Amino acid sequence: MYRVISDGGCDFTKEEAEKLNIDIAPFYISFDGETHLKEGVDIRREDYFNRLVSDKGLFPKTAQPSPQDYIDLYTPHLQAGKDILSLTISSKLSGSFNSAVLAAGILKEDYPNRVIKIVDSLNVSIGQGLILREIIRMRDAGYNLQKNVQFAEKLLATTRIYFTLESLEYLKRGGRIGPTTAFVGGILGLCPILQLENGEVSQLDNVRGRKNALKLINEAMVDALKDETQNISLSIGHILSENDAVAFKEATEASLGIIIANPITEVGAAIGSHAGPGALAFAYCRKYETLQEAHQ
Amino acid sequence: MNTWFIAAQILGLITICFEFTSYQIKDKTRYFLITGIGSLFWMMMFVAIGLATGMSTQFSLIVAATYSTVRNLVFFRIFSKNTPESKEAGLNFLLVMIVIAIVAGTITVVNAPVQVRWLHVLGMIAALGFVVGQYLPGVHYVRVTVVIYAAIVLLTQTPINILYGDFRWNIMGILIELAKIISVAVFYIRFASEPKKPQLQFAKP
Repeated sequence: MYRVISDGGCDFTKEEAEKLNIDIAPFYISFDGETHLKEGVDIRREDYFNRLVSDKGLFPKTAQPSPQDYIDLYTPHLQAGKDILSLTISSKLSGSFNSAVLAAGILKEDYPNRVIKIVDSLNVSIGQGLILREIIRMRDAGYNLQKNVQFAEKLLATTRIYFTLESLEYLKRGGRIGPTTAFVGGILGLCPILQLENGEVSQLDNVRGRKNALKLINEAMVDALKDETQNISLSIGHILSENDAVAFKEATEASLGIIIANPITEVGAAIGSHAGPGALAFAYCRKYETLQEAHQ
Repeated sequence: MNTWFIAAQILGLITICFEFTSYQIKDKTRYFLITGIGSLFWMMMFVAIGLATGMSTQFSLIVAATYSTVRNLVFFRIFSKNTPESKEAGLNFLLVMIVIAIVAGTITVVNAPVQVRWLHVLGMIAALGFVVGQYLPGVHYVRVTVVIYAAIVLLTQTPINILYGDFRWNIMGILIELAKIISVAVFYIRFASEPKKPQLQFAKP
C-alpha cells in the first residue's frame, strides 16, 4: 500500500484530490510578504486572480511547501504502514522537490522500513496534473510503488505543456520581460506561445492576435497528435477565461476526433502569477498503457 | 569608363544576389544575416558611385544604406541571442530606428517639391511599415511590407523622376528593388507548392 501525494503545482482542486484519494501540499501565496496564505485552502484561485486584476501594482509572491509541510502530510500515512509516492512541480521552477527530499530524509530515521519515492515531474500545472492522473490510474490498476515510479519517470519524457497569454502585463510585473517589450508587444497585439522545455519555461513563438494564436495552436496540436489520438491523455487549463477554454476544448475535440475526458482546470498561482488572467494552457502525455514495458 | 563606376555595378549585382536569397529564407535570424550583408554591399555600391561621380550626390543614400545595414545586423544579433534581455534591447533599438526614420522622412518630405510630396509621404510610411514588418513574427509581414516598400522606391527610380525634371533611370536601383519583388513572388510560388506545415510546431508526446 502506498499513498500518492503531490504539491499544489498540479492544480487539482481540494474536492478533486479527495475524490481521487490523494493528498496535496499547497503552495503559499503572499500579497504583502508577511502573511502567507495556502492556495486553495486559505484563498480560492478565482479570488487570487481577481485581486491580481484589480490591483495593477500587485505582484504576489508564491512559495513552495516547506519540509515541515511534507513531514506533516507524510507522517500519518507512514504511521499507518503506507509507503509514499510524492510528485512535485519541476525542480527548476520551485524548491518543492528539495523540500520533499529533505522531509523524506528526516522521516527515514523514524520510519526506516517505509519507502518514500519523490518524483520530479519536470512539469507544472496541467502537465504535472496529467502525470499525476496517470500515477493515480496505475495505482488503481494495482501497480506497486516501484513499478508506478518506473513508469511515471518514463511518462515525464512524453509530457508537453504549452500556454498562450492574453496580456504581457504579468510577465512584465514578474520581471520576465522588460517594459519596452510589454509596451510594443501590447501595441502589436503579440501573443507569446510558451512551453516547458527540460523543466524550464521558454518561448516557443510569438503570434499576432489571440484568435490567430488559438487557430495556430489548434493546427500544431493536430499535427503533433493526429497519429496518437488513442494513446494520449490531454488536458486544458485557463485563468479566468473559461469560455475560451471550453471553445478551445470543443475545437480540439472536433479536430482530433476525440473526447477530452479530463476536466478543464483552473491554472494555479505557481505559473498563473506570471501568465496572468486570460492565459490558456494545454498539455498532453502518453497513457501509461502505451509504454512498451507496461505490457511486459 | 571610370573604375569606381564599374565597381559600383559589380557591388550592385552582389547586392541583388544577397537580397534575392534573403527573401527565400524562412528563418528570421538567417534572413537578417543575409539581408544585412546585402545592405552592406548596397552601401558600398553608393560609396563607389560617390567615388565615381562625387560624394555629395550620394551622401543621403550612403546614410540610408548604412541605416539599413546597421538595423539588419543588429536585428540579426538580437534574434540569434534570443534572450529576454536581447529582445528588450532589440525593441529599444527598433523604437530608435523608427524615430530616426520619422525624422529623416519628415525632412525629406518637407524639402521635396510640392508635386511629389505624396510620393515621399508614401515612402516614409512604407519604410516604417517595413521596419515593423521585419520585426513582426512569422514569414509573411516582412515580405508583404518589403514589396510595398520596394514598389514605392521603384517609383522614385523610374521615369516618375520626370516629376523632378530628371529623366535618367537608375538601372541598378531598379534591378535591386525588382529583385526583392521577384524573390517574394518566387518564395510564394515555392511556398504554395510545399506540403502544408503548421506555422507552430509542437513536440510529439
